[in-house]
Amino acid sequence: MPSPPNSSAIANSLIGVLLADPQLAALMPDGVYYDVARAGAKRFVIVSFVDGVDIATYDGRAIESALYLVKAVALASTGGNVEAAAERIDALLEDQFWTIAPGLELMTCFRSGNVLRTTEPDSTNPELYWNHRGGRYRLDVALTPYRTLGRLTGNEQNGRVTP
Amino acid sequence: MIKTGRYGTVSWDPTGTPPVPPATAPLIISLNKWKASFKTDKLDVTCFGDVNRVYIPGMKDVSGTVAGFWNSAEIALFEAADAEAPGFLALAPNSTEPDFNWSGSAYMDADIDCSVDGAPTVSGTFMAAGPWTFAHTP
Repeated sequence: MPSPPNSSAIANSLIGVLLADPQLAALMPDGVYYDVARAGAKRFVIVSFVDGVDIATYDGRAIESALYLVKAVALASTGGNVEAAAERIDALLEDQFWTIAPGLELMTCFRSGNVLRTTEPDSTNPELYWNHRGGRYRLDVALTPYRTLGRLTGNEQNGRVTP
Repeated sequence: MIKTGRYGTVSWDPTGTPPVPPATAPLIISLNKWKASFKTDKLDVTCFGDVNRVYIPGMKDVSGTVAGFWNSAEIALFEAADAEAPGFLALAPNSTEPDFNWSGSAYMDADIDCSVDGAPTVSGTFMAAGPWTFAHTP
């Protein structure tokens, strides 16, 4: 039975868009990471999955709607400008379109919630502080039909298993 | 057997020609809901002396709705709404049991709902344009 496209491509493409931008790289030179940055990184972007919902039609999964937290994180003592980085993230994502993967077409990307600047102390050195700034971005992705709905005759079941 | 509605189908042949079997008519894609009603009018024949109202059945009505998402690759629903002649509609609860379906000649209306916070949805209303049949194996 045909399978839907690999959903991991959605987050990978999001990270790819952020990684490919030289302006963002100049602001946050230590990279873009999923969930956890590498040890020693001091100015970076974090992408985290918040929630997601799949919407079905009779043809199968039709829409994947996923919410990601995308934020710039910087150790305050480095002078990293998280506001500027967040503004650049917004320019790269809000109402922008990019190629995800065959079978996955980005319908829209928009910020559904602002994440205002927050500051937290370093977990090991209370004299150091981390600044965070970004937003929650929703990606609605349409799946092109991945299983062909042919005409049904007799016991032919279109390759589907009986649930 | 109870089965999931996930594999329901809505088939529509704009020519109005009943295929054999009915569920082999072309499928409308990107739909995720259908509902049919087979209510029969009840005529009030209450008479003097009856201790409660009494009814007898009149004519059965066949109508319903379909719904799903707008898909630019599939405009059959809106073509059906523009058609002057009725088409052939077949509704199956689960494609793994294609021998269970309701079908018949029908007129179709269509609606589209485009909201800023989601994918545009479509819906259609159908009503019988001829006799309908309920195909079932048992």
